[in-house]
Formats: sequence, C-alpha cells, structure tokens
Amino acid sequence: MRKYADLAMIGIKEHTAYLSSVWANFLAKVVYLYMQFALWNALFASNKGSNIPLSHNETIRYIIVATIISTFMECDVIGWINGQIQSGDVANQLIRPIDYKFMIFARHIGTSLARFVIYTIPLMILICIFYNGELFCKKQLACGILSIILAYMIQFLYSLIIGLMAFWLIVTWPLNMLLAAIYKLLSGSWIPAAMFPELLTKINMFLPFRAIYAIPVTIITTPMSAESIRESLSIQLFWVVALFLISEAAWVVGKNKLVVQGG
Amino acid sequence: MSIEVNNLTKIYKQKKHQKKIAVDNISFTIPGGEIVGFIGPNGAGKSTTIKMMTGILTPDNGSISINGMNFKKNRKEIMLKTGVVFGQKSVLCWDIPVIDSLKLFRDMYRVPREVFIENMDAFIAILGLDEFIDQPPRLLSLGQRMKADLAASLIYNPDVLFLDEPTIGIDVLSKERIRHFIKKINEERHTTIILTTHDVSDIESLCEKMIIIDKGALIYDGTLPQLKSDYRTTDLEEIIKKIYLAGEKRYEKIC
Repeated sequence: MRKYADLAMIGIKEHTAYLSSVWANFLAKVVYLYMQFALWNALFASNKGSNIPLSHNETIRYIIVATIISTFMECDVIGWINGQIQSGDVANQLIRPIDYKFMIFARHIGTSLARFVIYTIPLMILICIFYNGELFCKKQLACGILSIILAYMIQFLYSLIIGLMAFWLIVTWPLNMLLAAIYKLLSGSWIPAAMFPELLTKINMFLPFRAIYAIPVTIITTPMSAESIRESLSIQLFWVVALFLISEAAWVVGKNKLVVQGG
Repeated sequence: MSIEVNNLTKIYKQKKHQKKIAVDNISFTIPGGEIVGFIGPNGAGKSTTIKMMTGILTPDNGSISINGMNFKKNRKEIMLKTGVVFGQKSVLCWDIPVIDSLKLFRDMYRVPREVFIENMDAFIAILGLDEFIDQPPRLLSLGQRMKADLAASLIYNPDVLFLDEPTIGIDVLSKERIRHFIKKINEERHTTIILTTHDVSDIESLCEKMIIIDKGALIYDGTLPQLKSDYRTTDLEEIIKKIYLAGEKRYEKIC
C-alpha cells in the first residue's frame, strides 16, 4: 500500500511543481464559471425559458456544480500515457513489479487530491460568498457523492483506453482533439444534458459520456425519485464494468504490439 | 542469477508486408555473478535483445529463462530482482526531487529500512549523491542524472542488472567512479551484470565475458582474453573495428 501512497504523493508534487500554472489553472476556472453564469443568465433573459426543460435556477445550479466537479475530475492520464509511449519512456514503467495501470491510477488520485485542495475548496468558498441559495439537494447528497466516485472511475477508465490507443496510433492528439470536443458536449459539462435535442439524447444513451457529468450533477442538484436515482447509479456501474473490461483487453492486446520508440 | 536465452527472435513490421528482423535466432547463457559486455554496432539489435530480456518486449520466437523462471509465469518475481538503467531514458520523475523517486522504489521493491540506509550511505560515499538528492532531475546535469539513475536501480539490491550505455556523456573521473562502483557491486553482492556500451574502455575494465551481435545475429560469445588471442592483439578497439567491418562487408555481399 505504501508504494501507492508514494505514487499519489508524486502525483501531488508533480501537479504543484510549477506554481504559476497552478494560479493560471485556478483563474481559468473562475473565469470559466463567470462566463457560463453570464451566458445562461443572458439566454434566459432573452428567452423567458418557455421551451427549455430546465428552469433558470436549475440551470445555474447545474453549471455551478458541474464546474466544481470538473476542477478535480479533469485528468492528464491520456497525456501521460501518450507521452510515455511516444517517447519510449513506457519501457521504464513496464520493468516494475506493479501493474502499469495501478501506477497510473495512484498517480492520478494524487493529482486529483491536489486539485481538490487547490481548486475545488477555494472555488466552493468563492461560490458560497457570491451565490445565495440552495445549491445541493441535501437528501440526495450521499447518493450524489457515490455517483461522483463512480463518475471518477468512468472518467479514468475512459482516459486509460484512449491513452492506450497510442499502442496502435503512436500519435493520438488528433484523436484526442476530436474526442475531447465530443466528450465536453455529450458529458454535459458545458450544457446540461437535459437540454439536448431528441436525437442527441438518443445517441447519448449508448455512450458513457453522460455518466461522467450529467448523471452525478443531476443527482446532486435536482430532486429525483429513489427509483430513478437507483437507475442512474446502475447505468454508471454498468459503464465502470464495461470500460474496465475494454481497458484490460486493450492492455493485453496493445502490450504485444508495443514498439519501444527511440533506441 | 543465471540467464538463458534460446533461439530468440524479434521481427518488427514496417509498413505493409515489409519486415525487419531485429534479432535473429540468437542463443547464449550468462552464468550468475558475471559481468558480460554486450556489444554491437548501431542498430545491431542490442537494445531490442535487452528489452526482451527485461520483459518489456515480447519475443516473436524463442525463450528467455532467468534462474529457471520465465516472464509468462513469474513476471513479478523476476521484476523484483531485476534492475535496469537505460542511459538514454531516466527512471526518475522529472519534476520531483530525486529522493522521492528513491523512496518510491524502496516501497515498491519492499526494501528493508537498514538496507535502504546502508545503500544510501554507499551511494553518498561513492557517487556523491548528497549533492543533488533534493533536486528534481530536470535541474541536474547528465552525469548527475546518470548517477541518480544508477542509485535508483541499485537501491533494491537486484540480482540481475542491465546497464544500457551507463557512461554515456560522463566525464573521465566520474566514469572511473561509476565503473569502480559497478565492479564493487558485482563483487560484494554477486550481481549478474549485462553491460551494453560503445565505450571500449568500459568493457576492458569491467567485463570478463563478451557477447557480440551484428545485424541481429550472434557473432561472438566467449571471454575477453580468448578474443584477444584469436585476433593476436591486445587492442580491443582494433578487434571490434575488424569485426564490425567484416559484418558490413558480408552484408554488402548479400545485397
């Protein structure tokens, strides 16, 4: 267990190694939240919200919670794996007596902890100061936290799979650009998923993205029946299992394809 | 620990239907506790062979047995006892102090406290590790980074140590110290060492046995004195040049 704690510690130190980037990241979050806030306020002011499934208040709550979650949910896993495979440094990870995926996961947890302390908590304090009103659905908070944990796993496994694509493609950033756009839209981190047109909602039913933001944020912000909470959580659980199996398969097949770059 | 390599082959696929045989059916045995020089011209397949021997790449054919264990069944046991230093690739985390990487390896390889302290003292005395132990690798010079990398691979007392160009870009005095250190490790701990290098003096001062490969094939497997007596000269550099040249000529003929 100690080795995983060390790896998490390394993740924390790596994330905080460059102080200016920490500040820039935090400011980016504040500006992003303000922008979202201003945008949705303007939209509702011009539209009266008659044909939007969420009310003005609900939407604002949604985007605030989604932004808070994004501060620690974001991850660098795709970049790490791509970089290591592209430069050949992955060789140094494969000679270790522990599983590569667990090493990456431990480091990722470390980074998330660092993010939580540096970005999430200060941002929550800022929001407490400037937003008056009930942000969370208190009754569902426990389920919401459970849902966030599941979302965290889905997010990691998804990134792991995309990262491992480098075994085949070597350079994956064009793929990342494409997927990042799809991810941001379909996960509901920009726009509440409930506002999607019918076709998009249908497509989204078969994809894991909404399980990362839309499901946990909805559980936290909107009152739901126990049944639909249970249904949401089981969808997430399904994706955890499915993505885990896919990532294992990608690992087993991909590792044999590995060509260590650069001598 | 002894290493046995049998009919090892690795083929890289290049574009469509083009294949390059990087390692071609080579076999050799390395008895435990020896220092073996593993050499060959650029692109001979040295690194590919080392990467298969360390379990990073999967061979297309043939087998590798380390003390009777193989990578399919005993991967973890082998990894716990193997140290690898790639001169061109650092095992250390780029942005965090060297000491944190060493502590990670301590816990990863379950090194007892006393052993860790004892090893650290040795590294400080011989490699001068204390000068830069609190700095991240990005701030170190190449030589300092190499020393830190050596320390990171030896902190857990491996039984087999692969050194892939460990003296690349290092000054004469530090080179001398690193060689001395490698020799000492071998004598005291009976570590089997496989050394890849282009520096003839490294081999001259460290290795008893030599394995030479070229174009993926085994050219020589024997002792250093034997090689010298075969070529009737003590100038190892001259011998190696001759062997490489002969290889080139043979290759030209085939083409």
